[in-house]
Amino acid sequence: MTLSLGDVAVGDELPELRRIVTPGDVKAYADASGDQNPLHQNDEFARSAGFDGVIAHGMFTMGHMAACVTGWVGDRGSVVAISAQFRAPVTMGEEIVAGGRVRALDTDARTATLELWVSSRHDGEETWPIKRGEATVKLE
Amino acid sequence: MRAVDPHAEGIRYADVEFVVDPARVSAFRAVFGQSDGVPPTFLTAAEFEVFPQVIADPRVDLDFTKVVHGGQTYELLRPLREGETLTVRARIESVKVRAGTGFLTIAMDMVDGLGDPVARTRSTMIERTLI
Repeated sequence: MTLSLGDVAVGDELPELRRIVTPGDVKAYADASGDQNPLHQNDEFARSAGFDGVIAHGMFTMGHMAACVTGWVGDRGSVVAISAQFRAPVTMGEEIVAGGRVRALDTDARTATLELWVSSRHDGEETWPIKRGEATVKLE
Repeated sequence: MRAVDPHAEGIRYADVEFVVDPARVSAFRAVFGQSDGVPPTFLTAAEFEVFPQVIADPRVDLDFTKVVHGGQTYELLRPLREGETLTVRARIESVKVRAGTGFLTIAMDMVDGLGDPVARTRSTMIERTLI
């Protein structure tokens, strides 16, 4: 099922999607994506690069953001564009929260433009691993 | 202090083939708790067919031990199909150095077996100064 144009209004919020990031998740992501950068698997390397320990791939966080979108729109094939800038690292054990809202609708193209974000907490402070993500999705 | 070389702008890499391997798609979906379709960010796996060449390219002179991912854009003209083979055409779209920090943007076009465009990707890597 894919959302229809008539089901969606500007300002609608996407249901939040939460997950706690574990080293097992990040290893599984590294294997599936092909990104074996030691920054995401080797604490010593990550510390030498100035982090507290291994950090999740930016693309892991973006993949989570994309899952928030596809879970809402109901059809993975309907994402026609998605983008993100990575603003803060995600360390192991953090709970990341993806969310978004409908910014614009194009009734001729039957697409919705979404603003998206992923927030987290690190050392008690709110962080924004992705602050201004965007996607365009095709609706029925 | 060394940094990524601005002269690398415009470099094009030889075409690379990428198979949208169903087993790999399935493993990728599993990471995100999904059961069907090809997730849009699976395009990263195709990009990683090329990134090692860029990282090893002396003309780019990137210090990969200092690299973090700065940003990513995907445009999909249609969903990827499991089992299909894509041709990946990559180029260095821009290189900027500001205060010793390098910003390298790699753009790729992915086309299918009929030569039709399927996706465009843009990845920005940041080469950090201070370790």
